[in-house]
Amino acid sequence: MDPFSNFITGTVTLFSDPLGILIFFGGVIGGMLFGAIPGVSMLTLAAILLPFTAHLSAEHGIMLFSVIYCTGVYGGAITAILFNIPGAPENAPTAFDGYPMTRNGQAGKAVGAAVMCSAIGGTVSAVIMMAATAPIANWAISAFGPPEIFALVFFGLAVAATVGARTLWKGWLSILLGLMIAVVGMDPVGGIERYDFDMPYLLAGIHFIPTILGFFAVSEIFVQAERKATGVYEAPKLSVNFPSVAELIAHKFAVVRSIVIGFFCGILPGIGATLAAFMGYNEAVRWSKDRKAFGTGKLEGVISSETANNAATGAAMIPLLALGLPGGALTAMMVGVFQMHDMEPGPLVFLNSPDLVWVVFAAMFFANLSILLVGFLETKTIINLLRIPFQFLAPLILLLATVGAYAVRGLVIDVVVMFIAGVAGFFLRRSGYSVAGIVLGLILGKIGEQTFAQAMQMLHFEWTGFFDRPIAALLIVAALLTVAGSIYSAFFRKN
Amino acid sequence: MGKLRLGHICEAVFWLALAAFLYIESFDFDRGIEIYKFGATGWPRALLLLVAVAAMGQFLFQFVVGDKATSGTVGAASDDGAEEAARQSGHSHFRWYVSTFSLLILPFLYMRSHDLVGMFLELDKEGIHSVKLIAAPVLLVVYLLLARGNHVGAILTLPLFFAAMLEDLGFYSMAPLFIVGVTLLMGERRPQWIALTAALIMGVLLFTFVSLLYVGLPTGNISPFYDLSHWIVTMIQ
Repeated sequence: MDPFSNFITGTVTLFSDPLGILIFFGGVIGGMLFGAIPGVSMLTLAAILLPFTAHLSAEHGIMLFSVIYCTGVYGGAITAILFNIPGAPENAPTAFDGYPMTRNGQAGKAVGAAVMCSAIGGTVSAVIMMAATAPIANWAISAFGPPEIFALVFFGLAVAATVGARTLWKGWLSILLGLMIAVVGMDPVGGIERYDFDMPYLLAGIHFIPTILGFFAVSEIFVQAERKATGVYEAPKLSVNFPSVAELIAHKFAVVRSIVIGFFCGILPGIGATLAAFMGYNEAVRWSKDRKAFGTGKLEGVISSETANNAATGAAMIPLLALGLPGGALTAMMVGVFQMHDMEPGPLVFLNSPDLVWVVFAAMFFANLSILLVGFLETKTIINLLRIPFQFLAPLILLLATVGAYAVRGLVIDVVVMFIAGVAGFFLRRSGYSVAGIVLGLILGKIGEQTFAQAMQMLHFEWTGFFDRPIAALLIVAALLTVAGSIYSAFFRKN
Repeated sequence: MGKLRLGHICEAVFWLALAAFLYIESFDFDRGIEIYKFGATGWPRALLLLVAVAAMGQFLFQFVVGDKATSGTVGAASDDGAEEAARQSGHSHFRWYVSTFSLLILPFLYMRSHDLVGMFLELDKEGIHSVKLIAAPVLLVVYLLLARGNHVGAILTLPLFFAAMLEDLGFYSMAPLFIVGVTLLMGERRPQWIALTAALIMGVLLFTFVSLLYVGLPTGNISPFYDLSHWIVTMIQ
């Protein structure tokens, strides 16, 4: 059958099953709500629900997680914009311009843009995913080996070093700190424990959820608390003015560019939506004639980041379903759902369970569309959180973050790690370092080291081997040029 | 000294000391891997070298141009309010840092209190619990004394205290006190509003996570806090 007929079959199957409908809408609303509540995220919800999926069919379990993925990535933008607290790392670049927009009284415009662009990015991505899973997966799988993925990680980090910090050096120090945190735990080749300081907890590495909550949610509370304690706190200005259609049409190139970037990044195993959002944002800056306005509340920043991260959600399903390789934390949990039902994601899923695949594809398509409908309604209510005085909102956010950090693994030490990261984030941010850079380094650190080790083994430890592979060579040269260009700018160009 | 300030020197020393410390620690896992000639230390040591290079680059840059942002960087850090808040609050002098870090040590003293006492006394499980029950109020009094001169330091330390005590005293006993503490530190003084906030937040959290989603929150392991937690969980579920 052709993809369109399969899609129709998947849609009919999805909406003719009352339990399926219930799970679909539960996932849509749950993902949006958990994404949009400061302190917890779609990952918290997914971690809480994971054990319960054993009681669902594989079809319902995977569909639930895929719907949460789509709507949760959008929901995380709300807290990024309203409170400078990204619901997930893929929403971090959204905060760069979204939060300044809130401070300028344009919260509604920023959230409205996030709603529109998340829906557009996600829906287009879902359509491409349905139409081209097989050929794209074949191309990506054959063209992207460990050297290319390492080169892409290197390029992504080189780009991210120029975003979010006060100076290029602080950008690199932020990323390197994140990469060093990722080193803690077992080494990916020999399983040798590193920097565990004889603490069993550190053997499994430092989990990224408490770290993200600490660096973003907790440090933001501390920064605002300092402002309040010293009498310079200003409550964010409330507005529910959504962007006009003309404003969105004016950014059509940014939307198309971010869809391409998002889809491309999402399809690569282990890269996922986080790098997509960073690269979408950075390319928006690079292509803009008004680069200085980024970071001060520019709508294009929100549009680029949110389109790219939702465009990555559909694409991330391709390596998961075609190869069994998760692209991020939530897709990794989906592997867990498959395993709970004695299944392994991979090419055989397409042969053995085509119903499952097409129900999931149809659910993702409609979940992205529902962002447009439910998102506007939700925004009108969620935005009112800004009306709560900070002294009452702060303990709520801190306790939600506590529950979010604890719920992932049931370890109190994760809560301690979160608050340590919060204090560290507070001191680093006031010195001009980028907490988003630290988090990106932490997330890409493991895959970076793993693919580097695999690449070096593949290339028989010949560094020049990277340059025998066109895509890897192109990405490494682009990364080196980015680094060289930013060093040149730092020292020789007038600010 | 160019345009250097004491803070710039401290920053460079911090990064270089961190790199040196982690380099020395890397000898603990300096073992070869048969199929991988860089071993377990290759990647972290390369990163540490880059940390040292970036720290020196930052130092050199600050020597030449001071605190200016570099051209070619974009994003939020200089506009997200953190640096501005630090400037406006004036919390960047040496004494403030010493006072803040003195406060921040207290939760870790609580966490290691049984080890510290254990150096002088043999402690069984009951003994450890007794030490914790004595250490908690003593360190809280020290916290209150030190916090009087350092409001922001107190705000930074309170969540760490809360986290440090979660394992022993549990979420159910500590969370209401934590809410009251944070609300007070944020400047709220009306008792009825503080009580209402604590009741509402606890109600929402317990209903959503414990009653609806069956999330097991820390119950503590010291009586009577442990018993209280179990009683609350039984009541809710």
